[in-house]
Amino acid sequence: MLSSLLILCAVGAILCLILKESLVKWWALSVSLLLTLLVFAGLFWFDFSKAESFQLIESYSIIKELGVSLRLGVDGFSYLMLILTVLTSTASILWSLGDYQVSKRQREYYFWLLMTELGLIGVFSSLDLIVFYVFYELTLVPMFFVIGIWGYSNKVYSATKFFIYIFVSSLFLLLGISALAISHLSQKGYYSFSYQELMSLRLEPGFELFVFLLFLIAFAVKTPLVPFHTWLPDAHGDAPTAGSVLLAAVLLKMGTYALLRFNVVLFPQITTAFVPIMVLWGILSITLSAWFTISQTNIKRFVAYSSISHMGFVVSAMFMLNSVGIKASITEMFAHGLTSAGFFMMAGFIYSRLSTFDLSMSKGSAIKMPVFAILVGMIAFSSMGLPGGSSFWGKFLTILSASQYTTNLAILVLIASFFSAVYVLYLVKNLYLDSKKEADLKDITGPLLYGMALMSIPTILVGLLPSLFFVFYDSYSKYVISYLFKLAGGG
Amino acid sequence: MQEFIKIEIPNFVLLLPELIVLLTGFFIFTLDILLKRVSHLIAISVSSAGYIASIIVLLLIYGHRGETLYGLYVRDGLSTIFQIFMVFLTLILLSVFYPYFKTRSSLYPEFYYILSFSLAGAMFLVSSYNLVVLYVAIEAVSIGFYILTALLRGSFESKEGALKYLILGGLSIALASYGAGFMYLHSGSLDLRHIFLYGQSDALIIGLLFFMVGFAIKLGAVPFHFWLPDAYQGAPTPITAFMASVGKIAFFAPILRMIPLVQGDILREWILAVSTVSGLTMIYGNLIALNQKDVKRLLAYSSIANTGYVLAGISTASMIGFKASSFFLLAYAIMSFMSFAIIALLERFKDFKTEIETLLGLRNISPAYASFLALSLISLLGVPPTVGFVAKALIFLSLAESRLWYLAIVMIVATGISAGYYLKLISKMFMFEPRFSSNVKPSMSESLTLSLLGLLVVLLGILPILLFGPVSQSVEAIFSR
Repeated sequence: MLSSLLILCAVGAILCLILKESLVKWWALSVSLLLTLLVFAGLFWFDFSKAESFQLIESYSIIKELGVSLRLGVDGFSYLMLILTVLTSTASILWSLGDYQVSKRQREYYFWLLMTELGLIGVFSSLDLIVFYVFYELTLVPMFFVIGIWGYSNKVYSATKFFIYIFVSSLFLLLGISALAISHLSQKGYYSFSYQELMSLRLEPGFELFVFLLFLIAFAVKTPLVPFHTWLPDAHGDAPTAGSVLLAAVLLKMGTYALLRFNVVLFPQITTAFVPIMVLWGILSITLSAWFTISQTNIKRFVAYSSISHMGFVVSAMFMLNSVGIKASITEMFAHGLTSAGFFMMAGFIYSRLSTFDLSMSKGSAIKMPVFAILVGMIAFSSMGLPGGSSFWGKFLTILSASQYTTNLAILVLIASFFSAVYVLYLVKNLYLDSKKEADLKDITGPLLYGMALMSIPTILVGLLPSLFFVFYDSYSKYVISYLFKLAGGG
Repeated sequence: MQEFIKIEIPNFVLLLPELIVLLTGFFIFTLDILLKRVSHLIAISVSSAGYIASIIVLLLIYGHRGETLYGLYVRDGLSTIFQIFMVFLTLILLSVFYPYFKTRSSLYPEFYYILSFSLAGAMFLVSSYNLVVLYVAIEAVSIGFYILTALLRGSFESKEGALKYLILGGLSIALASYGAGFMYLHSGSLDLRHIFLYGQSDALIIGLLFFMVGFAIKLGAVPFHFWLPDAYQGAPTPITAFMASVGKIAFFAPILRMIPLVQGDILREWILAVSTVSGLTMIYGNLIALNQKDVKRLLAYSSIANTGYVLAGISTASMIGFKASSFFLLAYAIMSFMSFAIIALLERFKDFKTEIETLLGLRNISPAYASFLALSLISLLGVPPTVGFVAKALIFLSLAESRLWYLAIVMIVATGISAGYYLKLISKMFMFEPRFSSNVKPSMSESLTLSLLGLLVVLLGILPILLFGPVSQSVEAIFSR
């Protein structure tokens, strides 16, 4: 089933280049809808009682001698990310239908969007590290073109910066993957890039630290953690709305997904030793970027910085290494995917009405547009962590998991989440409470409305019915912790 | 000791591909003299027929292994694969060559037979261990290159590049043969396979040093690269494509063949020397390429950098390193050929010079050329799903296996630098509006050629086993001998 998703997406993307310019967007939308449908249909074959183990496994050998093969498979965690991917892609294509910014060169545009989706589906469903790496990089070129061609103001600079940051950092990942395969060769006698086989490796601490750091460089830039975040505000700020949506909602999740999947699980000794560093780094990242956020005047950069802040929660919760923490981390990933997508749509919509991203120019603009105001409200309060919104569970569980260590840590997280509430409130105040004489603005309609609703309604769903989502990764988070402590206890 | 003179009838089946190419050259040469001036149509069709025949023979004798001419000539899997690539690229070159020279009114029939002679020399170069044969083959390739570089009528740069190439080429062959003398002194043999059997001595070290420096000049490895940018820029662009693909394969082959031989005492020096040159080459090539204003010159520096990547694989002197660098070499040949060929095709239109600025908005002028050029650049950068990525990943794998972490980190940095200029070219083509509008469209045969190359780049990126399998097999065969 997973390979059919990939093939459908690839064929759909290539056909975009051939079809008539006016038809392309509908074609892209239908491909994306079909993918969404397939992913949801796949849930029938997914066994939730064994959500921590990989299912729907397929394997095709690519280079037998080096042990590279196209191994596909999903567990509950990656399935959830897959759902996020197809939802966000559909929403961003829907949004693009009504976005003036991307009305030129439509064939290429939808080709690149579908290529991004292909890369993302591949990333979340590959069980082979080289294949993972291929898909990880595959999202890079499309995004480079999307930002560089259809972006705003300083687009070429931002696109290049984005590409070089991610490309160089992921070369370290490639070296790390090679190092793992080589140690598999020296321990077991043959090359392997298979995730499950590499899990059984036992490395000596010095070497494990080295490879851990190689992986960490790649994912700390991708996630991003302060101070490796400087590519993000530029890339997100200058990308067209759909590009920002995909970047923030799913591309950043590749970093945290890989941190949990690879760094935590493959290097248990180092991970347990790194707990204090990573947790504090995460909290530092939350706090610093929350401050950066408040000082922004450009709405898109504002939202971009807020993303960094949220990713800090994901990282620090993940490295608290208890099952609540892992659960918090995954919840926050999903929640942030929805809210950041919604925020970027908000920014794009404000631009479409006011032709500016300036925060001070958009004062009180929500008042004139009730439907838009409701959607933004849902997203904003979800993002802030208000009960009933999606991020509530992420933040609540993070604090809960921190309190399992010490109360002081929990208080630290609490302070950090206070900062992240401040900027959302500031944004809301700006849009709702400030007033400015303004000509009548037309409310959100058409594809823009559907796209934005597709992102904002699930936030409430996560907030009110979290158990619907916990099924995916409840057992996985317990499994990771028991796995880690079995190994750490043994060694 | 070996047996002395034993009359041997050469095994012409093994030699047939080279002989066909050589005879093609002689045939056109004779025709040219007999008919006073042979027409291009005839020359092109004769050459194509010869090359196609040669490729067919190469495919037919793929499984054949053996030596002939008293061990002077070796036919193994590696030489067959290299030769298939070289003849194939030369065949494609013919379709690029004619339109290019026609617009510059520099059409000489000499081109065709010199090309054939040069190709034949290159084919001998990849299939011998004997120092004298290597010497003759290097000269055969190089003399062809000198003439071809100077082929552009009335172009000062072309002559300058050729002269520089000639002088440094002469120096390189002198150094290499000097080194060969020392190696003979060490072992009393001219066969590379025997030279390394007699342990280590100062004569061997000195000989190997000079020999390698000679090749380093030919390959343009830093600090012996000074001729390369001038020659690549000055030469007619199709010839640059030929030098950067076929030439690279040919000159790398003897060094690749030394990998299984330098095991043992000499290994440590080998790793130290080659990895140093490799690191310098990739950093320097990429750094200087960043600042270039001319596409050909930029690609010339990128060619230097890519030499560095191949040398990184060679420096490991391991089996996986051999496989990786052979794969990289072949991948690089396709990618660089493709990029130079597109520049050559673009140069026909009078609005295009080779400056980077003329590529501005190329996507709007000619989507086909822009897309193919972007594809080749992305592949040169090493982004999946292209063959360039597989090649780079293999090099990383071999570096990790030999624990050459510092070289791997240098390579990461170098590749990061290279992203700067490749992306600059791509963004110039795709993200800016053109300054002029002209009607630039590839002809039928050109788009066929480019699609074929583009398909190779992507296909070998997705299914690398198609190339890696044969390369790996033949390398293992060489190692097990």
